[in-house]
Amino acid sequence: MTLQPGAVLAGIGIGLEAVSAEVFRVAPRTQQPQRTRAGTISQEKDLLVAAVAKVSQELEAMSASAEPTNSEILQALSFMISDPELLAAATSHIEKGWTAGSALFLAVEEFAQLLAGDPHLEERAADLKDLASRVSAELNGNGLGLSVPLSGKVVLVGEEFFPTDVAQFGKAVVGVVTTKGGPTSHTAIILRSMGIPAVIGCSQAAELVDGQTVLVDPAGDRVVVDADLALATKSINLIAKSFEPIIPVRANIGSLSDSVRAATTSADGVGLLRTELLYLAQQSAPSIDDQTKSYAEIFTAAPEGPVVVRTIDVSTDKPVPFLSVDPSDAAIPGYSLLRDNRGFVLGQLESIERARASTGKDVWVMAPMIASAQEAREFTELARSIGSYKVGVMVEIPELATSVSELAGNVDFLSVGTNDLSQFLFETNRLAPLSPALLSPWQPKLIQLLSRIAKDARVAGISTGVCGESASDPVFAIVLAGLGFDSVSASMSQVGAVRTALSSVSLEQASQIAQIALSADSAESTKAMVLAALREL
Amino acid sequence: MALHRAIVRVLDPIGLHARPAGQLVKLVNDSGLAVRIGRADDELVPANSPLRVMALKAKSGDELQLEVESEDSEKAKSLIAAIVQVLGASK
Repeated sequence: MTLQPGAVLAGIGIGLEAVSAEVFRVAPRTQQPQRTRAGTISQEKDLLVAAVAKVSQELEAMSASAEPTNSEILQALSFMISDPELLAAATSHIEKGWTAGSALFLAVEEFAQLLAGDPHLEERAADLKDLASRVSAELNGNGLGLSVPLSGKVVLVGEEFFPTDVAQFGKAVVGVVTTKGGPTSHTAIILRSMGIPAVIGCSQAAELVDGQTVLVDPAGDRVVVDADLALATKSINLIAKSFEPIIPVRANIGSLSDSVRAATTSADGVGLLRTELLYLAQQSAPSIDDQTKSYAEIFTAAPEGPVVVRTIDVSTDKPVPFLSVDPSDAAIPGYSLLRDNRGFVLGQLESIERARASTGKDVWVMAPMIASAQEAREFTELARSIGSYKVGVMVEIPELATSVSELAGNVDFLSVGTNDLSQFLFETNRLAPLSPALLSPWQPKLIQLLSRIAKDARVAGISTGVCGESASDPVFAIVLAGLGFDSVSASMSQVGAVRTALSSVSLEQASQIAQIALSADSAESTKAMVLAALREL
Repeated sequence: MALHRAIVRVLDPIGLHARPAGQLVKLVNDSGLAVRIGRADDELVPANSPLRVMALKAKSGDELQLEVESEDSEKAKSLIAAIVQVLGASK
């Protein structure tokens, strides 16, 4: 099926400037043919050592001529492929009779498993596999260089490009589109620092053909077929017009050092204190005294304003050693976790109360992954029997999102976790991978649900905030304020930008913007319409 | 061989990922000393192995035990100071 002119392909934008040029597709790497064993075990080992050294030298050479950020990444990759532990693991496979190349792939697979479970580290495992295929190509006596045009202007389209590929992009590569990959991949970081506009994780781009003109529009998180720059989403420069934002901007933190850093930002308190970090490294539950001390330190260091503490949130991918998670509840561990580990949660609530009393801070507590009004009531009763903090719950499961009215008179506040909410909304199985584009907060279905939550909460007299990743997007934060949320909480690095955005409009303007967002029918058009309206203010 | 120990707290917001691990390996390789790193209650891993170091999955705020083997205590101390500088703060 060919894509029609004007077709819009959603992805994740890297960079701000748009570019329009012809598509040049890069075929995925084919599996290298299996080489039969050259000879003795020691000859295989020598071959492997030599091939690894060659690839490592190439990386060092690229590193030497790269920009500082890219140079450090290429240097780190060189260390990774020449890791003595990796070589030792590969050597033991050679001793079991494998060829040098297969032995290296087996060893890489073992390390990839050690790195699994953390998205950043999984990206590194992908880098390591790319490096292993370079070593394998070296062993087969053929290089694995990319054949990229050196003149003209092209938009490279492929499954995924690795840092070693990107380092070879010449001036002719003016834009990049990938069908896979995430926003924290090394490739994304390098493209950003090289100033090459890109849209990644754009699965529909697989249907693009060579020679077709496309608009790479990172500000709009999209690729448009047969379009020129006139259609590009203009990036927007928001200028603060008042000293105070229309709603408070708080910071998301997870540790004492975060709390110290947050206090150096313009954050108005802490909108989300994730408590898992305090426990992840512990083999047994810390004493109430120890926990109280940790919380008191964090509260004291925190920026002026309320501190919203989320009780422990554990999933199978970040297990806390001393807590039990029932595998049958693995998809929604939140409240079952509280039931299965009641003693621990009581101790946590007690510690938070003691720290609140000793520091005199305005502390709020909330429970994650609450699925129903009944669960919310059980939690608030429990928490109120222990402390005199404000008590609330996170709204991140659609069932609770639609029963906010039933919470009147019951909870003091609600905090919406948009990341999990959109996952649950668009995919019933939380553990299955989801198209990155669907996780965009600009999905109309999500915005409509957010609007309903804010309205129902207002009628019920409950204060509402948003602490998901979406609140870190300055433009989306304006939509949230316009929908009627009372506060947002952003990642520390985004607090300043979100605050500026929320100081650039009046509440009335924000609600006009929110109405525009509510009238759109696709994620791409929502963002484009909102940006256009903001420019006209 | 004398063992020099220290505790480092990881401060990078996304934890001990590829770039700080690479900087650590560079320091260790340049020093020529045997260095091990890990969680206090677990087996330490060789600090010249970026993959083992990343597999510790150390997050911001985590504390790691550091062990430097050297007869030259000045050399060990300056290496520890340099590692602390790269990874975060000493305790």
